[in-house]
Amino acid sequence: MIRGFKQLDDILRGNATSPPSLGKGQVDLRVGGLTLVVILLGGICGLCIGSFAVIRTAWSDTGVSQDAIMQMLASVVKLPLLFIFTLLVTLPSLYVFNALVGSRLSLSSVYRLLVAMLGVMLAVLASLGPITVFFGLSTDSYPFMKLLNVAMASVAGVLGLAFLLRTLHRLVTLQEPSISDEIVPTEREAADSGPDEDPPRRSSHGVLDRMGPTPVKARVVFRIWLLVFSLVGAQMSWVLRPFIGNPDVPFTWLRSRQSNFFMDVLESIGKLFGN
Amino acid sequence: MIDWLASADDVLRARGEWGSAPIDRRRLARLVFLLLVFGLFYGLVMGCYDGGHRARLTQALYSALKVPLLLAATFALSLPSFFILNTLLGLRDDFRYTMRAMLATQAGLTIVLASLAPLTAVWYASSTSYDMAKLFNAMMFGVASIAAQFLLRRHYAPLIRKRPAHRWMMYSWLVIYSFVGVQMAWVLRPFLGAPGMPTQFFRDNSWSNAYVHISDVIWRVLTGG
Repeated sequence: MIRGFKQLDDILRGNATSPPSLGKGQVDLRVGGLTLVVILLGGICGLCIGSFAVIRTAWSDTGVSQDAIMQMLASVVKLPLLFIFTLLVTLPSLYVFNALVGSRLSLSSVYRLLVAMLGVMLAVLASLGPITVFFGLSTDSYPFMKLLNVAMASVAGVLGLAFLLRTLHRLVTLQEPSISDEIVPTEREAADSGPDEDPPRRSSHGVLDRMGPTPVKARVVFRIWLLVFSLVGAQMSWVLRPFIGNPDVPFTWLRSRQSNFFMDVLESIGKLFGN
Repeated sequence: MIDWLASADDVLRARGEWGSAPIDRRRLARLVFLLLVFGLFYGLVMGCYDGGHRARLTQALYSALKVPLLLAATFALSLPSFFILNTLLGLRDDFRYTMRAMLATQAGLTIVLASLAPLTAVWYASSTSYDMAKLFNAMMFGVASIAAQFLLRRHYAPLIRKRPAHRWMMYSWLVIYSFVGVQMAWVLRPFLGAPGMPTQFFRDNSWSNAYVHISDVIWRVLTGG
């Protein structure tokens, strides 16, 4: 588990996806420990999101209800599942598109890359957890909590997908000799470039830094795939709902199949301003 | 002690070690000390509002505690996500410098507030209106926040020169911090204590949501309801 956290730290710092690590066109990550960390972080996020149900009833006259505790436990279980199911649904298409644009990534490398992306997403979401709990403590508005969680999940999603996009770009560009020569200068070129400015610019790269042009075809394919991933993730969260738990509806593990994620977000905005 | 208070000047000017050095235990202690002293001072003055009656010592003490508490709790809640964002942008190695910039800004905010405290006292001496007192204090916090934003820019300038990505982190800190700070201030009210209301640390209905309240007000204004 500790090794998993160390790996997650390497991913967040960009060490795991730096050009030397990706040089062979492979993602060199051991996903065993990392998968456990992803599940643990997902559970923590679920706890923060589901805590609203418990907090809300804790201060009422009737005390904490059985439904509220079940809702919180359900969120702890369902949030990691949401990410894992989204990964499983989108993994094949990413692999196929990746192969289409000429990347030599194997299926296991694509899987490792996606687990790393989930690590980034869940680390961001878990770091926003204290803010979610704080707002859960200080509000009884269900639409507000829904919109807050959608906003936070969107931030986490955008950053996770940006990480994936940058890493895919790096993988493709590193396999193009002409481009890789441009973006990874040799030691001699670096030495010839003259003295550093004051203050010196760092030579290391952030995990979200762009590192060179990407072939247009690859860029378009990756962007389409990101759109697909976002839509699948959003709809998967709808299928697995409730995560927060509508206080007016008894607890169920899953709700019936009706409407969709985007309609519900619009309705929540309407309710927040209308009531 | 005098030496520690004198460092307030350097913090405001981002001068010497306060403009370039990373955070360490000694600097952290100094900044927390400045935040406490100046925050308590402004809170004490702010809580002296009497509304034409006798000033309430308990309310003044509560308000004195609440200003540093507001800043510290907002800082603590906003820090984890900011840390992860910095790591993602490859700025983790600079985080000790970033922490110094942010903590110095927090301390600077309370220093500015404390410098505005005499104005607040004069306002209380010249008007007993509760709404006007609230508005005046909101203005003082607004002025201090704007000043603190300039201070943050000053402390961040060397970091941005070194790596431009710090600029985005600075903006994201302002967004996260203000989003949490508005709600924290709402939860921690009353800061003045309405005349006629009992002196309390928290209002009975304080655990509500500032943004829902604001959206209700906007909706009522728009619909005339």
